[in-house]
Amino acid sequence: MSDGTSLGKTFFAGIWDNNPVLRLLLGMCPTLAVTAAVKPALTMGFSVIFVLLFSNIVVSLLRHQLKPHLRILMFTLTIATAVTIADLALKAYLPDMSASLGPYIPLIIVNCIIIGRAEACASKNGLVVSIIDALGMGAGFTITLCILAAIREVLATGKIFEIPVMPSAFTPWAAMGMPVGAFVTLGLMLGGVNLISKKSA
Amino acid sequence: MSNNEKKNPVLFFLQESWLLMVASIAFGCLLACLNAAWAPKIAQNEIDKFNKLAGNLIDTATQFQSVDEPIPVDIGKGKVYNIDVKKGIDADGNIVGWAFVCEGSGFADKIKLVIATDAAFEKLAGFGVLSSNETPGFGDKINIKPEDGGFYQPQFIGAPVGKLELTKTGDPGKHDDDQIVAISGATVTSDAVVKIFNTFLVPVKEAMEIRGLL
Repeated sequence: MSDGTSLGKTFFAGIWDNNPVLRLLLGMCPTLAVTAAVKPALTMGFSVIFVLLFSNIVVSLLRHQLKPHLRILMFTLTIATAVTIADLALKAYLPDMSASLGPYIPLIIVNCIIIGRAEACASKNGLVVSIIDALGMGAGFTITLCILAAIREVLATGKIFEIPVMPSAFTPWAAMGMPVGAFVTLGLMLGGVNLISKKSA
Repeated sequence: MSNNEKKNPVLFFLQESWLLMVASIAFGCLLACLNAAWAPKIAQNEIDKFNKLAGNLIDTATQFQSVDEPIPVDIGKGKVYNIDVKKGIDADGNIVGWAFVCEGSGFADKIKLVIATDAAFEKLAGFGVLSSNETPGFGDKINIKPEDGGFYQPQFIGAPVGKLELTKTGDPGKHDDDQIVAISGATVTSDAVVKIFNTFLVPVKEAMEIRGLL
């Protein structure tokens, strides 16, 4: 798996065929929790991309030295380090966003996407494939979160990034800013994805 | 037990776990370096956030300075909070108010507030929320500032420094009494904020009087 077509396939698999949220149903907790608005969703997405890249690069470089019975410990150690770096960076350079995201940044440690890709891809493939896989999965996660957040923010407030996008006569749907809105919107997105997949099969 | 383990268990342990130990040390050093590099910026962000919130409450203050030693407040069950009271100083060097950070348990998580009072520590200048994780659409209404249409925060402005009382009904437009009308659907959060005031205000005032600051 080293030519351009395969790498392209690997990358786009993370965005559609193996989308971590819509296909693999992983990372549900941050997906529901931080998508009340697009800004926190984008921040969470980029944080996950960073953690995925760090974790996949380290695991791929050390894959021949990993003892099978200690690999989970090694994955967890690597992921925790990356998440701590991300958390410190947000506290230093984006303090408002760090406060807004609260415990959901440290909770990236237990996000199954990260350890899943370390186990399924990085521990079995070279550096380039692992990097592309991390970017693809991270992009898929980020795009899904942003779409979900955009729908919720527009319907809950009539704005995106504080810019009004709905007509003045629009009455905001307060429920879309609450957990119920997250569940309903995600459920509808999952249904839509399944419908598209069935039709194209 | 394998032959290796029988011969030398320490050597076997090192053979099996050297990568984990080396990685732990390497990652630990990396985190220590990054923490050392970013800790001053993170601390400055906390100070800036306090100054911004306190500055909104005491708008004539141009800077805030800590007074003496922190004031210990015993909140019961052996727990003592050290309150760093800061005086708000205007451009002429006069004290125009006092502000400090305190916290208490909310509905979902801890609520951290900046409380401000007038220069005589007789009337409240209001509060700002440093951090909270209350229910969106209900408890998080404690975050809505007066200029954004919030009704809960303005009730504290002008209220007397002393025991406040939470009520479920009443006129939230009255600002100079000790009655605070709760947010509908968020009684626990509303009560938590009032409890924070009742826990810290009077002990801090008494300690400041003893120290001759008031």
